[in-house]
Amino acid sequence: MKTNIIEAVNLTKTYKKTVKAVDHISFSVEEGELFGFIGPNGAGKTTTIKMLTTLASITDGTASVAGYDVDKNPAAVRENIGIVPQELTADDELKGVENLLLSAKLHHVPNDVARKKGKELLELLELEGAAQRQVKTYSGGMRRRLQLAMGLIHEPKILFLDEPTLGLDIQTRQNMWTYIRDLNRKEGITVFMTTHYLEEADSLCDRIAIIDGGVIKVSGSPSQLKEKLGGDVLTLELNGDSDATLFLRNIEGISEVTKGDSVYRIKLLQAGKVLPSIIEEITRKGFTIAQIGLTKPTLDQVFLQVTGSSMRDEGSNGDAFGQRILIERLK
Amino acid sequence: MFSDTFALTARDLKKWVRNPATIMPGLFLAVFWLALFGSSFNPTNLIPTQIGGTSLPPAVLSQIRSAIVGTFGGAPTYITYLTAGIISLIAVINMAYGGIGIVLDRQLGFRNMLLASPISRASIYFSGVLQNFTKVMVLALLTFVVALLIPNGLQLAQGFGILGFLGFFAAFALLTFAFSCIFTTIAFSVKAVEPLVAIANFIAFPLAFISNSLFPIASFPNWMKTIAQVNPISKANEAARLLIVNGSLSTSQMGIFAGDILYLAVFALAFTILGYVAAKKALKAE
Repeated sequence: MKTNIIEAVNLTKTYKKTVKAVDHISFSVEEGELFGFIGPNGAGKTTTIKMLTTLASITDGTASVAGYDVDKNPAAVRENIGIVPQELTADDELKGVENLLLSAKLHHVPNDVARKKGKELLELLELEGAAQRQVKTYSGGMRRRLQLAMGLIHEPKILFLDEPTLGLDIQTRQNMWTYIRDLNRKEGITVFMTTHYLEEADSLCDRIAIIDGGVIKVSGSPSQLKEKLGGDVLTLELNGDSDATLFLRNIEGISEVTKGDSVYRIKLLQAGKVLPSIIEEITRKGFTIAQIGLTKPTLDQVFLQVTGSSMRDEGSNGDAFGQRILIERLK
Repeated sequence: MFSDTFALTARDLKKWVRNPATIMPGLFLAVFWLALFGSSFNPTNLIPTQIGGTSLPPAVLSQIRSAIVGTFGGAPTYITYLTAGIISLIAVINMAYGGIGIVLDRQLGFRNMLLASPISRASIYFSGVLQNFTKVMVLALLTFVVALLIPNGLQLAQGFGILGFLGFFAAFALLTFAFSCIFTTIAFSVKAVEPLVAIANFIAFPLAFISNSLFPIASFPNWMKTIAQVNPISKANEAARLLIVNGSLSTSQMGIFAGDILYLAVFALAFTILGYVAAKKALKAE
């Protein structure tokens, strides 16, 4: 049985006794898992990472990381984690390799080991050509990759990634996904990441939790969450005038049928498996299909259903950006 | 802890050496104060040669002149007197600028990277102190050279040798270290550069002016005298001036010098500890 490498119970962060950034959340991450925290800006993602990485104190509840209590034994937690923060912390004036070796020093990695591991990482992240250049000459993607290398130089058990592809173009983002996936699958590093790109969470994470207003709304694997929405939607247009609604409802695998004009909206679970037999039954009954379309549920739909689709810039209680500014002031 | 402190200090100094232009504002300040302000003022030129149409006898004039030079600690030129004052003035002012890097590290997230790593919190504090200290001591050395290069500038007494040189800089090293502790702690506690500069100016200028840096304490009003006498800047200046003006010290001068150094050492030690306690609080998890 796999053990929980991160465990949060009723984890809470309140700033100056008034602003609840994170409100009694509980979750666990198994060893070797790639776990994603998704939510709108200001939902509490970064605050949660800060608590788990010993940067923010815990107001209430407990958290353990790598088997150590974050509050009671922060030093042991720090030994076992690597962090790639949202801000790019690599020093502009220093060369790529100097940043990497400094990061190794901060984690007490012996020089010869650091050099060897550094070389490997620079190769893996395709930075070996730029290693001797000052970071101020790097592109956004190179900076992110260097930051990832800096988070990995001491071979941490758990890697925390806070918005790892923020502001990257689509090619660079996909490369970044490949690196992260490889680290997790091949090196066995547990990854805890936050993102507000849903396709990123969908493509990378074994399991996600959606957080909004400091509270976890749902959690599960991306496909589980999508299935909860009611599965895939098939749109079907049939030739002829006869109504097929009743007939369709009785076909196995179909959960719901609604008809508008001549187009049927059919909800079904696991479309890939049941679609061939559905089409076969329809044609056997003598119907001819004029047009057919299939929409798979996206994480976006799950997200919007869970967090509500209202705009977040109206200064209401749900104003996430306002929340962040408030927290910054209170710190 | 030492290797952590060393690694972090090395990072800062590496950045500094790669960008030597950052030392220029401090150096310009030294040149302006010493060459322009220093040359504009010569107290012995203000002695009238005649009063009410009667010329003063040369013997009296020379007595007045040596009395004034005496007030200036026996310095043969005003710049000789001023050099120590300007070194301490520049040291204190540049501490504020040294703190800017610390504030930027916080704003850019570098501080959080340090705090989430297993290095000791003390090494974060001491690396801040050491990098500030090193930069200012290099500037102090350059200011000393500038003073020597100015025509009719710093005139070293005969007998001022390597020991004198070391003693001169030991006084400033203790002063600078103490101030580095104070300003590093302030830099750790503020979130933006503006309040840092405001606080630094608020501390640095009054402290420098209420000392013997620019003028002898003898000309001060009484309330300023009281503060100036206990001001560590005055002690460092006094110790440094004793050496450059006299070269080798008499027993009584040696007593004053040792007293000043002891005073500065206690001051430095106190602020190392106070600064550490305050910095540790500032570096705690938010």
